[in-house]
Amino acid sequence: MTTAEMLREDTSTRTVVTGRSDRPRRRRGAAIGRERSVLRGIGLVLLWAFVALNIAWMIWMVIQAFRDTRSILSDPWGLPTSLDPVNFVTAWTAGDFATATLNSVSTTLVSSFVTVAIAAPAAYYLGRVENRFTNALTMYFVLGLGIPVQVILIPLFVMLNEVYLTDSLVGLNIVYVGVSMPFTVFLLIAFFRSLPQELEEAAALDGASAFGTFWRITLPLAKGGILTAFVLQVISHWNETLLALTLLQSTDKYTLPVALISFIQQQTYSGADWGGLFAGLCIVVLPMLAIYLWLGRRLTEGLTLGMGK
Amino acid sequence: MTQTAAMPGVAAGRVARRATRAGGNAIDNARKKLFVPFVGPALLFYSVLFVGPSVYAIWISFHKWAGAGPMEFVGLGNYVKLFGDKLFLQSFGNTLLLLFVVGLAIFVVSFGLTLVLRDMAGRKIARSVIFFPHLVNAMIFGVLAGFVLNPGGLVNTLLGWAGVTDPPAWLATENLFPLIMVMLTWITTGYYTTILMAGVDRIPPYYYEDCALAGANAFQRLRYVILPLTWDVFGTCAVLWTISSVKIFEIIWIFGGSTGQGIPPTRTWSTAVYTYVTAFSGESIPAYGMASASAILSLALVSVLVVLLRRVMRRDAIEI
Repeated sequence: MTTAEMLREDTSTRTVVTGRSDRPRRRRGAAIGRERSVLRGIGLVLLWAFVALNIAWMIWMVIQAFRDTRSILSDPWGLPTSLDPVNFVTAWTAGDFATATLNSVSTTLVSSFVTVAIAAPAAYYLGRVENRFTNALTMYFVLGLGIPVQVILIPLFVMLNEVYLTDSLVGLNIVYVGVSMPFTVFLLIAFFRSLPQELEEAAALDGASAFGTFWRITLPLAKGGILTAFVLQVISHWNETLLALTLLQSTDKYTLPVALISFIQQQTYSGADWGGLFAGLCIVVLPMLAIYLWLGRRLTEGLTLGMGK
Repeated sequence: MTQTAAMPGVAAGRVARRATRAGGNAIDNARKKLFVPFVGPALLFYSVLFVGPSVYAIWISFHKWAGAGPMEFVGLGNYVKLFGDKLFLQSFGNTLLLLFVVGLAIFVVSFGLTLVLRDMAGRKIARSVIFFPHLVNAMIFGVLAGFVLNPGGLVNTLLGWAGVTDPPAWLATENLFPLIMVMLTWITTGYYTTILMAGVDRIPPYYYEDCALAGANAFQRLRYVILPLTWDVFGTCAVLWTISSVKIFEIIWIFGGSTGQGIPPTRTWSTAVYTYVTAFSGESIPAYGMASASAILSLALVSVLVVLLRRVMRRDAIEI
């Protein structure tokens, strides 16, 4: 439906659409333009203050990452004297953020890839073959959206312990794939349903097998939606904390959020290294910012409308 | 055989009908063979790693179990014990506060922002900026709060410049939870604003023109046009917040940054924190049964509220 339509729509149609809707909006602006009230003025000020706050914290965080602990303490508003990345180097070497980053990157990419690779065919099937059975299956997947993760925390720990997959990144990857199924399947079903059937029918008439049709016709058409699903998983696996905290015990297996927690807890004993901590925060936040700048509109639509239906 | 022979016409007709039906859905039939390879893996992963554990959690919640050693069946004992446990009641109360108070704050702020954003210059940029915190680990904001609010931090320096010499002890234990609530409102508002805006944007402009012609004021426009037409979006948002508020863990776990000695002060606990600490803190004998029971109670809370919300918010979405 709308989700996927919007995800799919390419730049040219977008310009056409906005171009068309521009005119009525301007007219509407004129019709109600006079009733700009004080309330609205206050609202505008508050809104922009809020926007500024949302930018300021990030800038502040990056700035502090270039200063040393003592100067941060004495003047939290100060600017760095140089762009020496010494904090990043310390965080990278002494704070074990290097291993953690590597673990996070590999876990995130592998689990997101496997999630989408498994969820896409399932979503395709459930979206295309509609009968009572597949509808029930779809419901079965959707139910998972409502189960808070702490419910499965203990059983997962016990189960993985049985097969020696606790404190293992392989185990964590498998868990992430399972836990991401409901959302990914749900998002992709809506997306596949929005794709036109005609091309697939034509391919079938030309003698393509059902799998061939999916592989050569539908998948290339669905690239946009699948990329969105993949990146949404990257974001959620990159930030996932509770499961990683429970399932990983040794330092060399930590993912970034867990490493950050342990870094903060060490400071209680070894004295604060705020510069290093800020560098660590940057390592967690900035990749998300990069992804957001790259694919922003797609992500907001996938996250809002995908969940919205 | 004889029956078929006796009624050739009927049989033939039936066969023919079946043939056409099958022929019409040749693609569907070919697709159906893909069920096992296509849906199988997803179903397996999901069932084994999500549904299975959920059922197992219910089973564990009826037992007294330290993780190792035998499980002792106690029936509903764990649940009874939970309702006598002050710590759990406090955690549960906190979760309810997050759910209702923060939820209400988010909706008021988001809706306000949506109304301001609706026909404002630069709306896309503003919306994109306030959405971003949703993509950041909430933990980060917990850590930053520690820096901003510590005695020599940003806020107190600022207050100092403004002439306040005796600022409150922001990070005192009794202030932490309200601060967490404020922080959560901040970082979640953008997400819900985006959803609400998607709903408000669906309203065609001629409704507003009609309002202007009919001489409706801003409040009437809100009451008779915007609210009814975005009602279903509100319902969705409420369900989403119910589900996600019950899971809140990271920001509480690390709130205040360097103040933590491993486990956050009990006054700030949510049920997710309670579950984790009861099972994995390593400071006392793990009580898997109690921990599971508390998790199951949060699941029950979600289920009840989602069902109620669907009831209350049920109203046919108005097709535009």
